[in-house]
Amino acid sequence: MSTLELTGVSKRYGSQAVLDRLDLRVESGEFISLLGPSGCGKTTLLRLIAGLTPSDGGQITVDGQDLTALPAHRRNIGVVFQNYALFPHLTVGENIAFGLKAGGLPRGEIAGRVREALQSVKLAALTDRPISALSGGQQQRVAVARALATRPRLVLLDEPLSALDRKLREHMQIELRRMLRDAGMTAIFVTHDQEEALVMSDRIALMNRGLIEQLDAPQAIYAKPRSLFALNFVGLSSQFAGTVLAAADGQVRVATPVGEICAPGSLLPGSSVTLAVRPEAMRVGGSATASDNQLSLPLSDTVYLGARRLLYFHSAAAHGEDIEALQIIAELPAQDQAAPHIGERLQLSWSVADTLLFPATPQA
Amino acid sequence: MTNRLRLKPLGIGWLALPGAGYLVLVFALPLLALLASSLFDAEGAFSLAGYGNFLGDSYNAKVVWNTLKIATSVTLICLLIGYPAAFAMARAPVAVQGLMFLALILPLSVGVVVKSFAWTILLRSNGPVNALLLQLGLIDEPLKLLFNERGLIIAAVHVFLPFMVLPIFTVARQIDSRFMDAAATLGGGPLYRFRHVVWPLSLPGVVTGCAFVFSMAVSMYVIPALIVGDRYQTLPALLARAYLFMRDRQAGSTMAVMLLIIAVSIVLLSSWLGRRIEARQQRAQEAA
Repeated sequence: MSTLELTGVSKRYGSQAVLDRLDLRVESGEFISLLGPSGCGKTTLLRLIAGLTPSDGGQITVDGQDLTALPAHRRNIGVVFQNYALFPHLTVGENIAFGLKAGGLPRGEIAGRVREALQSVKLAALTDRPISALSGGQQQRVAVARALATRPRLVLLDEPLSALDRKLREHMQIELRRMLRDAGMTAIFVTHDQEEALVMSDRIALMNRGLIEQLDAPQAIYAKPRSLFALNFVGLSSQFAGTVLAAADGQVRVATPVGEICAPGSLLPGSSVTLAVRPEAMRVGGSATASDNQLSLPLSDTVYLGARRLLYFHSAAAHGEDIEALQIIAELPAQDQAAPHIGERLQLSWSVADTLLFPATPQA
Repeated sequence: MTNRLRLKPLGIGWLALPGAGYLVLVFALPLLALLASSLFDAEGAFSLAGYGNFLGDSYNAKVVWNTLKIATSVTLICLLIGYPAAFAMARAPVAVQGLMFLALILPLSVGVVVKSFAWTILLRSNGPVNALLLQLGLIDEPLKLLFNERGLIIAAVHVFLPFMVLPIFTVARQIDSRFMDAAATLGGGPLYRFRHVVWPLSLPGVVTGCAFVFSMAVSMYVIPALIVGDRYQTLPALLARAYLFMRDRQAGSTMAVMLLIIAVSIVLLSSWLGRRIEARQQRAQEAA
């Protein structure tokens, strides 16, 4: 159980800043995900914490001890690599024992720790197998067991599930989470898969261009995205660009191509904004109250997803090629009713409180 | 698998025929003739005198010892120089790697005779090497580098080095740098990482390189002939003398057979070592 603290951590390659004075505090026993598109710096950050890449500035401390100048092999931070990096010339047991031997543990104790580590990932029967004889899922578990066997202060996982097929990946998300919780391990998990981050994390650090855009619990990341980037990276939404007409009582009235929409917030009239609504906040049909935002649009497409169904509307106000920005998505439980017909005009409504408001930024 | 079995009788196997035929004709048959001529005396009668004489003469033991000593030194020095060079080459940026490759391969196109003569010029008492060492103040009087083991080893290492570097380079290039990262995060320091990850993973290349260099160094003739001359005898030189000066076919072919036995046993030993290293992985594939 250890607390990790990063202060002002920077890394640049040439003139390009990969990490720009980044701060992050990970609490003891916490499972935190670094989520972001490729090139956002999440893997670089992981390597910096592990000591595999030197940082250009800032401080990395674990439980108050400054690790910044220590080489990787003195940090006692476990890492599970993307393709596991299991030693091909060693057996499963020898892979697990590697870190214990390097740490100078007595022989007798090593055997016990290896057995214990393999039991915790339910692979005790495979101790003497060579790595090449294992399936992907088994290799993944060996990699986790190897990283945990040395009882590191914290464990870093670099997209450890990305090489597995979907079904196994979903199983391992739960399994991995359980293993780390049982070990009481502070964990930092790098992924570009938003679902994986939502499923597994206590908190998500959403990264973009070398900075953390938002650090929050998964629910907050989804329900209260702090920027358009966060909104777009996690989950679907309908979005409307517009201009604030009036602001009063903690609400703004915004003129958009599909009509006036109200949202919670306070901005000066004349400000450019983007409004967004999550698909499940949309109601289809006639149960709107007077204060709700309302639209009436023809259905342009439906997508059946088993438990639910997505309805796509393209606003009649879509002009030119800017259709993407005016795509409107609603979600229905699929069992509720028969699928509406494409072309059918439907009544959409959502409460003002469910409308997200983002001031327009130059790059958005 | 079934596919391959069905193809085998008339498929791929025939492609080896021209090569195999050529080898039988120019290698296996002459080898038998060589073996035969070591077992028959000048009058054509069967005789083990060739082996008797060879093994009975203590001078020959000295020559075999010289030969093995030189070959072993050359192999070890090639390994010592070649191993880091191979890794530097494997980790170099593509452009640099290309240059290094060129530097390694180009000298192979220069004949061994030319290279040996070049060394006799370089290594002379008043040659450039001694001049440089004197100039730098590292030595007070010229080192004797010609007509002795020292010069022979220097020249032989130069000629055979590429055959050590290339197999190790091939293996080094395939060692994933993430293995080093993993070993470091598991607490392995630089030496521990080398000893337990890099070295075992590169061993197949080391074994191949050593087999190449040793078998060539044990049978080299031109380099010792030009660098040391008659004063320092190795088995190939003795062998050539028996044929060319003594006109003693039996003695010559006996020595040729002995040399062959030494070289082949080294190659077999090293490939056995190599197989032992991979034995674990093979057992695994059978189990799976």
